[in-house]
Amino acid sequence: MSALSEPSVRVWHYDGASGIRRDPMMVLAGDGFVLVEPDREDGPYAFADLIAQGIVNGHPRFGLAKRTGWSMTLTEAAPEEIAARLPGARRYGGVIDRIGLWPAVGAFTAVSALAVLGLMTMPSVVARMIPRSVEARLGSLMVGDFGERACEDPAGAAALQALATRMQMQDGVDLRVVDVPMVNAVTLPGGHVVLFSGLLRQASSPDEVAGVLAHELGHVENRDVLESLVRQLGLSVVLGGLDGNVGGYTNALLSASYSRGAEARADGFAIDALTRAQISPRPTALFFQRLSKSEIKVKGADALLGYLASHPMSSERERRFAASAGKAATAPALDAAQWQALKGICGAGGGTWKRSRLGF
Amino acid sequence: MDQETPNARAFEFAGNWREFAPIAFTNLLLTIVTLGIYTFWARTRERRYLWSHTRFIDDRLEWTGTGLELFIGYVVAILLFFVPLALLQFAIQALAIRGQDGAAALLFVVLYVAILYMVGLAIYRAMRYRLSRTYWHGIRGGSDDQGFGYAVSHLWKTIVGSMALGLLVPWAMVNLWNERWNRMSFGSYQFESGARVTGAVIGRYLLYYLVPILLFVGIAVGAYFFGPALSGSAQQMQVSLIIIGVLLYIGFFVVLGLIAVTFYAAYFREVVGNLSLGGLEFEFGARTKDWLILFVVNVLLVVGTLGIGTIFIGYRNWAFFVRHMQAYGMLDLDEFNQSTTREPKQGEGLLDAFDVGAF
Repeated sequence: MSALSEPSVRVWHYDGASGIRRDPMMVLAGDGFVLVEPDREDGPYAFADLIAQGIVNGHPRFGLAKRTGWSMTLTEAAPEEIAARLPGARRYGGVIDRIGLWPAVGAFTAVSALAVLGLMTMPSVVARMIPRSVEARLGSLMVGDFGERACEDPAGAAALQALATRMQMQDGVDLRVVDVPMVNAVTLPGGHVVLFSGLLRQASSPDEVAGVLAHELGHVENRDVLESLVRQLGLSVVLGGLDGNVGGYTNALLSASYSRGAEARADGFAIDALTRAQISPRPTALFFQRLSKSEIKVKGADALLGYLASHPMSSERERRFAASAGKAATAPALDAAQWQALKGICGAGGGTWKRSRLGF
Repeated sequence: MDQETPNARAFEFAGNWREFAPIAFTNLLLTIVTLGIYTFWARTRERRYLWSHTRFIDDRLEWTGTGLELFIGYVVAILLFFVPLALLQFAIQALAIRGQDGAAALLFVVLYVAILYMVGLAIYRAMRYRLSRTYWHGIRGGSDDQGFGYAVSHLWKTIVGSMALGLLVPWAMVNLWNERWNRMSFGSYQFESGARVTGAVIGRYLLYYLVPILLFVGIAVGAYFFGPALSGSAQQMQVSLIIIGVLLYIGFFVVLGLIAVTFYAAYFREVVGNLSLGGLEFEFGARTKDWLILFVVNVLLVVGTLGIGTIFIGYRNWAFFVRHMQAYGMLDLDEFNQSTTREPKQGEGLLDAFDVGAF
């Protein structure tokens, strides 16, 4: 038994095996300490294995490394020889406790800023590293053949091909019309451009369709879709750690701000393509003007909405297309007969659903 | 030192918000500058504070969970469940776009069932994790059951519960509570839960169920009798209609919320009141009024501080829970030995990912 002349302090102790509390004396013994009771002695234990658990009910409590449940609570002030060797409290977690709160905040801020910067630039790099063949396979996986919704009226298809030729569409781009009553068009990975029948019905001239098509071809050229997929994946993994909505909002804000940039670039591409094809950009401007009337207009909130939207405001795009109109001679994108054929590409029932749809 | 503390409650919360505030604010700061990754360590710090300020009979609780294991649990949940779920979602869209609506619908049902199963698993696993990291007298809780059977039960009872126009929901809730707790233990003692769907529980649930219908009929009758009494220009009419509409809308949710709280208060008193461990019987004393005050103050705290008050919600909920918990009887400490259950290696990742509560 250790001599009780060594420095000692009374502790409460649980051994982690039984629920019974012991009241031994903690006694210095060589490099470590032992827990001494009248009829037994535990240890020796190393000071290095002690883990400070903070002050519990006014008394400092310590655990032991690799012995969950083992604890020791000092019930009185420890003598200097013992107190000096007890570990300091952990507060924020390993690294932060070592370097201090404010240096850690600074370091984390710097790393986070770099990470955000990386997230803004990496996706375009990664997207460009993905081979075209992989992108094409992914695209055809997503697109499929649209089943009964694909619009394949022969005369309409010929008109669509004529429009594509006029817009100098590259080989390998797959352009289709699908019977979906939405005034929209989408570009999917692998150069699949899909025009919805709702757009054809809404458009009042072939030049408008040409403008929208040119915009989508801009996305194909810039590989925007793949990039946004990569970005979305990266953002959702990184921001997933944030609690619920905060992560979601940050994600939406970051991706929207990126997407507005991509949309603006695609508009630039479209304006150039229209100029090259000698098609007037004015009808496309009018198309956006009509769209902007259907957008929510709240006075003063315009700017805010514009910032949150994934596309630039229609009114802004209208001005840009209108401003690009030059003095050069232009000709309609399609003649009247071709335009009628294109509008009828989905057959007589075009624009209505051929079968019940499943909503998601 | 004796184990008996006469004239004192078995549970006591000795925390104080001024002491907690530095923890809450530094947690918020660190969470922001780490783009959310610190959340797991923040939650650990918060729990360590709350547990160590909670006295049960003669000693404080101890939380031994770590931020790292919560983080690992989250990453594992993402890899094992969310990547496959995202792929399945992708497959549904691909099928739908090909016009294969039948197959898409089938896959959608599969997806829904899979999610429901995993929510059950997540609730169970989170509870097991929390018990296994909670120490008292150096002894922890836990369960040897992995929870797969519970998850199946959760799946079918949730589906059956929502059948019959949702009338069986209280039955499913009480039943699942019993099933969860009967699989848990603390030290060498097994929890025993024998809650039943009492008249008070079902009565309040029926009230919750019927009030929307009664309200709707009441409004229709009111509109019929008092509608013509509203007079004035078309514009005035429009304004007063909008005001009445907004008031009714808010009123509807306030009334419904109130009744939901009365139901939940009765449910919680019933399920906790039939829980026992060794020679201890538990009881939960909060009445509807107490729950209501908790909710209203929580909402005011969050709204009044533009959201920053959210960092105190966990503290307030824990304090509320502990202050209303009671235990009676004796725990034989000679028989109270360390739990032999397997310690889960990761934290409550799946639960985080689903964003549901454990209790």
